Amino acid sequence: MLEASSLAKEYPTPRGPLTVLSGISLCLKRGDAVAIMGPSGSGKSTLLYILGALEPPTAGTLTLDGRNPFQFAERELAAFRNQSIGFVFQDHCLLPQCSVLENVLIPTLVTNDHAGYRDRARALLEQVGLSDRLDHRPSELSGGEKQRIALARALIRKPLLLLCDEPTGNLDQTSAAVVASLLLELYQRQETILVVVTHSAELASRFPVRYELRHANLHPAAA
Amino acid sequence: MNCVMRTSTLLQRNLTWYWRTNLAVLLGVSTAVGVLGGALLVGDSVRSSLRDLVLARLGNTDFVISRNGFFREELASAFDSSCPIIAISAVVVHEPSGRRASAVEVYGVDERFWKFQAEPGQPPSGQEILLSAALERELGGKADDAILIRVQKPSAIPLESLHGRKQDVGKTIRLTLKWPEAAFREFSLEAQQGDVRAAIVPLTRLQRDLDQKGKANTILVANGAVSLDLIERTLKDRYALEDLGIRLRTLERQHCLSLEADSAQISDALADAASTTAKSLGLRVEPVLTYLANSIRVGGREVPYSVVTALDSPPAPSEPDAITLSQWTALDLRAKPGDAVTLEYYLWKSDGLLHTDSARFRLAQVVPLEGAAADRDLVPQYPGITESKSLHDWDPPFPLDLSRVRPSDEQYWKQYRTTPKAFVPLARGQQLWGTRFGRLTSVRILPPSDAYSNALRMALDPAKMGLTVFATKAQGLAAARGATDFGEYFLYFSFFLMVSALLLTGLFFRLGVEQRMREIGVLRALGFSIPKLRSLFLLEGTALAAAGAILGIGAALVYGDIIMLGLRTWWVAAVGTKSLSLHTSIAPLAVGAAAGMATGLGSTAWTLRSLQPVTPRGLLAGVEKHTSSGRWLLVASLVTVIALALLAAALVRELDQTAGFFGAGTLLLIAAVCFESAWLRARSSAAIRGQITLGVRSATYRPGRSLLSIALIASATFIIVSLDAFRRSEASAGTGGFPLVAESVLPLIHEPNTPAGRDALNIPRLEGVQFVPFRLRPGDDASCLNLYQPRNPRILAPPAAFLRSARFRFQDSVVRTPNPWLLLESETADGVIPAIVDANSMTYSLHLHLGEEFVVDQTRFRIVAALADSLFQGELLISEKSFLRLFPDVEGYRFFLLSVPPARAQEVTGVLEGALADYGFDIQPAEARLAGFHKVENTYLSTFRSLGGLGLVLGTVGLGAVLLRNVLERRRELALLRAVGYRPQHLATMVIAENLLLLLLGLVTGTACALLAIAPAVLLRGGRLPAASLSLLLAGVLVTGIGASLAATAAALRSPLLMALRSE
Repeated sequence: MLEASSLAKEYPTPRGPLTVLSGISLCLKRGDAVAIMGPSGSGKSTLLYILGALEPPTAGTLTLDGRNPFQFAERELAAFRNQSIGFVFQDHCLLPQCSVLENVLIPTLVTNDHAGYRDRARALLEQVGLSDRLDHRPSELSGGEKQRIALARALIRKPLLLLCDEPTGNLDQTSAAVVASLLLELYQRQETILVVVTHSAELASRFPVRYELRHANLHPAAA
Repeated sequence: MNCVMRTSTLLQRNLTWYWRTNLAVLLGVSTAVGVLGGALLVGDSVRSSLRDLVLARLGNTDFVISRNGFFREELASAFDSSCPIIAISAVVVHEPSGRRASAVEVYGVDERFWKFQAEPGQPPSGQEILLSAALERELGGKADDAILIRVQKPSAIPLESLHGRKQDVGKTIRLTLKWPEAAFREFSLEAQQGDVRAAIVPLTRLQRDLDQKGKANTILVANGAVSLDLIERTLKDRYALEDLGIRLRTLERQHCLSLEADSAQISDALADAASTTAKSLGLRVEPVLTYLANSIRVGGREVPYSVVTALDSPPAPSEPDAITLSQWTALDLRAKPGDAVTLEYYLWKSDGLLHTDSARFRLAQVVPLEGAAADRDLVPQYPGITESKSLHDWDPPFPLDLSRVRPSDEQYWKQYRTTPKAFVPLARGQQLWGTRFGRLTSVRILPPSDAYSNALRMALDPAKMGLTVFATKAQGLAAARGATDFGEYFLYFSFFLMVSALLLTGLFFRLGVEQRMREIGVLRALGFSIPKLRSLFLLEGTALAAAGAILGIGAALVYGDIIMLGLRTWWVAAVGTKSLSLHTSIAPLAVGAAAGMATGLGSTAWTLRSLQPVTPRGLLAGVEKHTSSGRWLLVASLVTVIALALLAAALVRELDQTAGFFGAGTLLLIAAVCFESAWLRARSSAAIRGQITLGVRSATYRPGRSLLSIALIASATFIIVSLDAFRRSEASAGTGGFPLVAESVLPLIHEPNTPAGRDALNIPRLEGVQFVPFRLRPGDDASCLNLYQPRNPRILAPPAAFLRSARFRFQDSVVRTPNPWLLLESETADGVIPAIVDANSMTYSLHLHLGEEFVVDQTRFRIVAALADSLFQGELLISEKSFLRLFPDVEGYRFFLLSVPPARAQEVTGVLEGALADYGFDIQPAEARLAGFHKVENTYLSTFRSLGGLGLVLGTVGLGAVLLRNVLERRRELALLRAVGYRPQHLATMVIAENLLLLLLGLVTGTACALLAIAPAVLLRGGRLPAASLSLLLAGVLVTGIGASLAATAAALRSPLLMALRSE
């Protein structure tokens, strides 16, 4: 269960605090999927990073599975992210020095618990349709393929929460459709909570629940 | 596919993927290891080379037994594997050309030496002489050429005593140059790195010409397994009294033994031993002092040239002012008891002049010429006197007025020979005629005992009597550890190079980390904790450092070899030998590798500290966390305050000025870099008005990189500018205003400033020329010219008048006084001898400090003052009084400062060197002597500067790398600018502005702080700033930096515009 309660985020500026988020509350359980839309600079990514425990809120509380990650020390927080949260960024952020399979396995290096992950990585890559590209380097793949690897990497540790920041933002229409389909298919199969931040109305339309971030708060999006 | 993703896999991927950056880091570490290991290797190599020289030159010699005088050569047979030789210093002249070499070691050897040293071929025989290669080069010549060697004539009788033969102290021996049948090993007993200047002559020939048949003055002993203690015990068991120049005569008529010495004087130590031994055997001793009176006068009558004996027993009177005359003398003088008797006699005083003194006595008694009063054996053997048949045959070493000799005197000589004509109390005699060599002429032991001779032999310690055993090889090897630790020096010299390499390592590693910030962000988002990430990067750093260390070991060998080559060639002036070679050993390489690896790793760990403050989101967004300019300003201000405090302390002389200014300069350098850091951070939001300000803004984008570049350039400049200030100029106050300095191989006994002295020395009167003669005890050169650790430094004693003239400049003294020379005459309750040394020798060769005590040959010295950059860099200076007490056997003057009208220096040099050629008198311009020392110092500085310059090159390379990285990272930005209408030259202007800013900040900061640091050196020490060469160097750096800017711009612009834009 992901519970966000009255989340707020302000940034100090020379002209006084800039409020990006204010009084955001959200409650999502396993299998829920939400798309958050909004114009540039509306604070979508900030919200996503707060939900992903990458950035602390100025106010409000966040719990995932009953645990507030911002109460953790750095080392525990890192372990929490590793175990419970998966990320997909607009820019795939693959390690160019590693092969496709290795990139997917990167999160497993945090612990020495490697058992079974190799098979899971191969399975995930098969699910994203890249089982024949295991040894390729990111530079040898298209944008869509890279994003599919990023998706597989995000799911390798069976996270409770999958966060995607403009996952199709850099992709052409066909690739974007493929990635979107995979995203929706895999989150259901993995029974994770999926939160996607996107500009793409097309992508958002495929989500059962949609919000729009305006004036620092979430509003149900029009159908 | 069988893929297991492990940390090691990721590590491997990272290492290979970022190979360019990693290679740079690896090269940085390997450079540091190479420089560090190489420097240590150089130290080790110099020590090993010096050891090799000692071992090669000593051959099989482990111990040396030597004496100032001569002893029986058969004494050598007491030791297994030994050989007797004569070792003597000489002037060697190649007669056909007239070429002359002073201070040559001459060894008189025979086949025993050849066998001992396992030399091939035959030793020289007959009139042959072999020259060492260096001496042969110096003198030239060919086989069968005539070679003259001029050596000091051995004289058992001290030259500086009345009976010493001062007129002809040398002996010339004519020999024929022999061409060696086979290369013979260069032999030298001296531990010094310079060429061996030695001649080898037949022992028998030298013995004959020196009138020392069957005698030697040195025994070489082999067999390192034997201890010094055993050699000393064997010597004590086997020596004979005559080996110490002592003899015991049995006087039948007097029914006693007479202990006499070849020197005709019994030293106090011998007299004490003789007395103690006699008492232990229940025997009685009677000390005797006999002297020659020029006249015994009573009223208007006199008896010329009479022997007078001082005794503690009759016939000598007991009252101090009383005298006993023999009946013959009393009759001749018509003297009766109670008459006043005046004795006139010569005294040779330590001023190098013969004085006539007199003493008045009261005639106490007249004794008949019989019994104890008719004892002609009271007189020791005086060559030229005692064996003469008549007074007219006397050939004494002092003026004799034979016109005063009457027939009756001749008659007395014929009848009574050396029988004394007068007797005085011993104490009075000793007061009048005692010298530093002794206060007795013989000691009589009564009654004669067969046991006495051996008992005395057992009681005497040969070492204390001048027959000394030296563990020459062990001492040489110990000295080979060196006065200068070259490893340490080259560590200092290479320090900046090493720091540059490490800064570059850190810089490249930082660039690598910065390049991977997004990757780090992803990893953190994926759950990698900071410690995990840090350990991952540290693992990478370790792998790179380990590889760098392995590569660095090779680099250390190359670097060490190049430095050794440099020491043999470009910097040979600093070491004075070409016999240095690289000696490879594990220890310095291992230490270098370990230390280089550790510092490389430290450098990367420090870089990783910057990871922590940046949030994963910031990392993903490519944001860097910058410290505020306020903190930098605070640090800069604090450091500035400390620097100003140091400066103030130095100005009011609460702190050594050089140290204070240097410390302040260094701190100001740090403060300036901190201020610049704050400034760069503050400029990050400054308005952009054009391409130049845009370029300047770029320098503020990554302030850490910019700061590292500035620090590199600034500290290199600081080092180079400050070093140049310490270069010594040719002209210096270190000569004390004396234009010439001279040394002689044979001692000059006479005072050359007096007409009598000049006559004796056969030198003309030279208008305006004054000699300041110094006594010299030969020893190890304590100057920077000697690489070996001086264990027994040369000791000089200036005359008292010189001390009062207050010449030369002092760096410091234990007591603030206008004339520190006078501290030499201060008496110390603990018997420590006050000594003055040159400040450079004190610090760098002797490794002592002002006020410190040290021991040479069981004598304690204390440094009471340090001369500032003087020509006395090779020796200790003590008072003449202390010198004569410590070294009574070292006679005459062998070191001279000459006051000469500067215009006549050359002419005087020619005249004196010619007139005193037989003494091996070598004159050198004082400034040239000083310049010889300066040359060594300046060579060291050049070495330092060269390596510092290399560091500067590395700094410039680092700057270029930073620049290139910055430009490449901004490729898209530059492409965009081009898209909106910027031309390439606009972009070049921006890049050059950025680079120039960093370069100028570095150069100006380094130069300004260095100028402050060296101000006292420039103003007080007479150092000077070689503005031309310095400007050239700094301009070179500037040009290189601008070149690097243009290259970086070109590299950035090479990528097509659209491609760069597309990647946006």
